[in-house]
Amino acid sequence: MATARWIDFAGQSVFHTLVAALVVEALVRLWRVRQPEQRTGFRLLALAWPLLAVPILFFGFPERQGEAFEELHALFAARRWDEITFLGAGLSGWWLGGMVVLGLALFLMDLLPLLRPRRPAPPATSAGTPEGARAEKALSEAASALAMEAPAMAFLPEGPPVFYCTGTRRPTVVVSRAAVDLLDDAELRSAFAHELSHLERRDPVLGWALMGARGLLWFNPALQVLVRALARDAERVADERAAAATRDRLALASGLLKLYRASEGRYATPAGRSLPLSAALAEPIARARAHDIGLRCRALLEPPPARVGLASLRLAVLAAGLFFLLFFVV
Amino acid sequence: MSAGQVSDLGRAAGEGARALWTLALVLGAAAAMLAGLDAVPGWLRGEPRGVRRVASIYEAERVLRARLMLPSFFPDTYRWPPSSVRVRREDGGAVALAFDARDGAPALLLAETVSGTGELAAPLLPESAVIQRQSAALGEGATLSRIVSEDGTLWNELEWTGGGRRFVLRGRGPLDVLMRMARSIHGVVR
Repeated sequence: MATARWIDFAGQSVFHTLVAALVVEALVRLWRVRQPEQRTGFRLLALAWPLLAVPILFFGFPERQGEAFEELHALFAARRWDEITFLGAGLSGWWLGGMVVLGLALFLMDLLPLLRPRRPAPPATSAGTPEGARAEKALSEAASALAMEAPAMAFLPEGPPVFYCTGTRRPTVVVSRAAVDLLDDAELRSAFAHELSHLERRDPVLGWALMGARGLLWFNPALQVLVRALARDAERVADERAAAATRDRLALASGLLKLYRASEGRYATPAGRSLPLSAALAEPIARARAHDIGLRCRALLEPPPARVGLASLRLAVLAAGLFFLLFFVV
Repeated sequence: MSAGQVSDLGRAAGEGARALWTLALVLGAAAAMLAGLDAVPGWLRGEPRGVRRVASIYEAERVLRARLMLPSFFPDTYRWPPSSVRVRREDGGAVALAFDARDGAPALLLAETVSGTGELAAPLLPESAVIQRQSAALGEGATLSRIVSEDGTLWNELEWTGGGRRFVLRGRGPLDVLMRMARSIHGVVR
């Protein structure tokens, strides 16, 4: 495929994702889709746009790329903006260039920390300490609340408070002594339930799949932002699942807050070292993270959000409407 | 069907209608914004939607996928190539070529359809007021008009049909030169 065609494809991919994401976000708010799983479904539609719909529209309907379509039928043609030039290049080209740089920066900000030499996964052990025994008991209670088999647990006797799940083939929950010390029994059980919910939904696998999609469409900043929104949704889904299983929303909220406060400031540092611009972005990112934790805690202090009716129908009609609208955007 | 079921069905229908209405509103707003965004470049350049300025006659022919019919008599009082080439693809396609006089002032405008003999009007032709019209010796239905352009200058305008196309030739020079140019546009595609 000629370079010009790739540029057209990239331009449509970015612009379509932007429009699809804005339409989806507007409808999520207007339709009051508050249930995290349902919200994920709507955002997945926006995510599917650059991955499925744009290739279908671009390669399946080649007549859309012709000048005749642009001038006679297109609702919006990016090429028209190229008729206005700045420093010898069309405005559409400048816009796409800016988007590509932004997309790459957002992708690298999350990729570079992953490429650093990683410490080997901690061994699955916990025996021998009272904290380890407490953690094992809480894990087993959380697993039975979720009606699933307890995965392996890696207990870190040293270091700061950590609490996460990892592994695609052999899932493991990693917890440190500092984290166990921080939480009471109910909070510990809720925190384990949250991590087990991630494993139950295979979120680590989904995380890698989404990272693959980000790598494939590294030039698309709208997709990079969408994936981040989906990651936040995954946390909310795990919160709701854990809260429903343990029937203790308050314990999860307080556990979440304690762990966040104990780890505050640790997350801004790696990003600050990965990219020249990310030092400037560290503060807004930390603020966004604090805001996100605040939203999650607030949601847990309220009753579980209600599901909106006719969700599948809404999704289907929205997909059809978006396809029809964006067919005429080239 | 019980009263409760009927009520549930009514509620679901109402919710569905509200959801559809909201969806239509959001998609309509998105479409309006896209159309607005699409119109901005033309508005900034002072060109209406559907009219595109191209670099040359060859580019116009490529865009319209048709050869243009040009006068074989072209007096050296006008500058070649045209100072602007504007094409419109709608309604079968048309082109307007503007030529300057040697002193740089706009002096000649040739517009033609490339398919069909429909009207050649705005937005390809600048607005003008006709102050006199008569038939011209360029075939059936041909007219010669005296027009006043927006800037108040007087022009002669010939309009005729030939070779399956509609032509408009406007000029500020002598009428006999304009007639000779019009006659030199043959109904033969180059």
